[in-house]
Amino acid sequence: MKIYRAALLTLLFCSLLAVPALAVRIEISAPGEQTIPLAIVPLLPMGTAKAGIAEEFQQVLENDLTFSGLFDLVDPESFLADAKKLTLHSTQVDFGQWRMLGADALIKGGYRLEGEKLIVELRLYDVVSRRLLTGRRYFGKLRDVRRIAHSFADQVLLSLTGELGPFNSRIAYISKRTGYKELYLMDVDGHNPVRLTDHRSIVLNPDFSPTRKELIFTSYKKGNPDLYRKEIYTGRESRLSLKPGLNIGGRYSPDGREIALTLSKDKNSEIYLIGTDGTIHKRLTNHYSIDVDPSWSPDGQQIAFVSDRRGNPNIFIVDINTLAVKRLTYAGKYNATPAWNPKGGRIAFARLKDRQFNIFSIRPDGSDERQLTFGPGSKEHPRWSPDGRFLVYSLDENNEKSIWMMRADGTGARRISAPGSSDSHPAWSGRW
Amino acid sequence: MESSRKQRWRQLQSAVDPGLRWMLLVSLLLHLLLPILYQTLWFPTKERVRPTVYRVNLVNKPVKNPQAGRPEAVLTKKKKSPPKVKLKSKPPKPLPPKPKPPKAKPKAKPVPVKAKSRPAPKPVIKSKPVVKPKPAVSEAQETALQRRLQQLRDKQRQEQAEKARQAKLDMLRAAVAAESRQVESPVRNAPVGSVTGKGDQVGVDERDYVREFITQQWRLSRYQLNTRNLEAEVVLVYSTSGKLLHYRFERKSGNEVFDSSLLRAILKSKDLGQPLQQQTEFDVTFNLKDMLDKP
Repeated sequence: MKIYRAALLTLLFCSLLAVPALAVRIEISAPGEQTIPLAIVPLLPMGTAKAGIAEEFQQVLENDLTFSGLFDLVDPESFLADAKKLTLHSTQVDFGQWRMLGADALIKGGYRLEGEKLIVELRLYDVVSRRLLTGRRYFGKLRDVRRIAHSFADQVLLSLTGELGPFNSRIAYISKRTGYKELYLMDVDGHNPVRLTDHRSIVLNPDFSPTRKELIFTSYKKGNPDLYRKEIYTGRESRLSLKPGLNIGGRYSPDGREIALTLSKDKNSEIYLIGTDGTIHKRLTNHYSIDVDPSWSPDGQQIAFVSDRRGNPNIFIVDINTLAVKRLTYAGKYNATPAWNPKGGRIAFARLKDRQFNIFSIRPDGSDERQLTFGPGSKEHPRWSPDGRFLVYSLDENNEKSIWMMRADGTGARRISAPGSSDSHPAWSGRW
Repeated sequence: MESSRKQRWRQLQSAVDPGLRWMLLVSLLLHLLLPILYQTLWFPTKERVRPTVYRVNLVNKPVKNPQAGRPEAVLTKKKKSPPKVKLKSKPPKPLPPKPKPPKAKPKAKPVPVKAKSRPAPKPVIKSKPVVKPKPAVSEAQETALQRRLQQLRDKQRQEQAEKARQAKLDMLRAAVAAESRQVESPVRNAPVGSVTGKGDQVGVDERDYVREFITQQWRLSRYQLNTRNLEAEVVLVYSTSGKLLHYRFERKSGNEVFDSSLLRAILKSKDLGQPLQQQTEFDVTFNLKDMLDKP
């Protein structure tokens, strides 16, 4: 009996001692900060050091990641002792130091030179959970430092967003630096420009094949504006469509099997579908007005184009199967050059307003129209990056044409083409 | 003359095609029809896009010792302190001095007052007849003395009026200061400040503090996500010392980027940096309802 009493008393005592936990409900409806604090440690040599490698790598990587808009870079001046250690394993990193600096993510790496061969080891760590997010070992040559940095920037975006970045892709554009409008190719940050054509005529409207390393473009080389195809690495070139009249604005379908373009073989410009061999598959529009500038929807079922069938040039969408046409834009007197986001969400286009073009974007259902660019100069020919995060466009200001890049929301605009080269009509490649 | 005019008019009427009137009438009707048609479904108008609403949190700044109730609640308590009682006692005073303004009037009546005020100093002059033996000089002296006396009186009156004005101003200032301290919430009984708090600082209660603290630790870029329809529920148990005892995901969003950002926020919120009144279980719902739009 005494035992029971003692047990009962003990239970009663314990229940009195036990602190009842108060339950509280909280709703947090937005993050406190919308950038990730990232520390990028300069590359460390894993053998003999070579001047310039670490600096160039750092500059390219920082440039790409800053442009992504995701990160808030930690000042390298504040780095502590761990920044001087080549720690390529999460157990070796002193994460406490990086937490002290407020970093949530950390990039560390090293390089080794074996003759002409360059080996770069890179790691992305989550400082808070103290784990490795992604690690890569790149093999290349000394001239590949920039490419390696772009590739790793893409991997960082993949790791933190689930979508690969577009930095290791290319941009084709038209430049008049030789006196003629020729086709060029450059890196996403404007480096390594290469001339692809020598037509000594007028080259226009380039577009990349989504499946192969080749481009289509319009050229007046033979007098008529014909559609050409060019393989980038072999340099092989052929005329794809040489119908009488216009053969302009060629755009590959998302699967790369067809090309939408404007033909005026019947004296009026209409949108057609042709095969990669140049044969006409289908006529998509049939109206006495001018129909130009086709742009494919990501599912390949619709095409946005420009038509003046209601008086002023506006954006319309045609269904490839039913040929039903619906109007997309109503505002503005001149809407042109539509570009459908490869992720489907929006269509970018240029609108003439106050005697200059600006880039706008709109949902495919016609809602939520937004102006993305402001300020002086005409901004035209918007084209999306393959991940749909960024836009490239040409700016015509003070009689100088240049190529610019910005985020999909219009922020972070930066010039990528060299000054004084008169560049326009950019087109962003797919994954390279 | 008239007949020739009529003839001409008739000739003109006969020359005009009778169908022209009908044409003009039809044309007018068609022109009227246009604005009516414009309002129909054939000419759809685009709906205006509502501007984005931005919310700035300026109120819920956490403090270590949050007060209870609304700000005025604390002020009424402070009224008990001796220095503020002085301020409180002053405001009623301004009411009686209101009639004082007439005192200031002498300023505006310097000349007419001279005649009335002279009788008072006269007795002083009367005592001066001792100097009478020198009448020629005394008259001039007397007038000078009178002037001087008058100047002194005027100066005195001005000083008094200035003092009265200053006193009135001070009272008014005190009244305004006391009134401004009596902060009134635009909504009566509005739950501003901490309801459960027992401190003396203007701030928020534990729940709001923890909410703000975790929010500050949560970092997620809008460029990381393609959708905003994400929500997760996490239970966080904090000890009385403000340390995270344990946590569990009651419901995940299914988006790896979103969920891992929450995990980072939780790990960074291991220590709240201030004690709680008791061990508390926070059922936290994370979503992106107020995150800025991504175009």
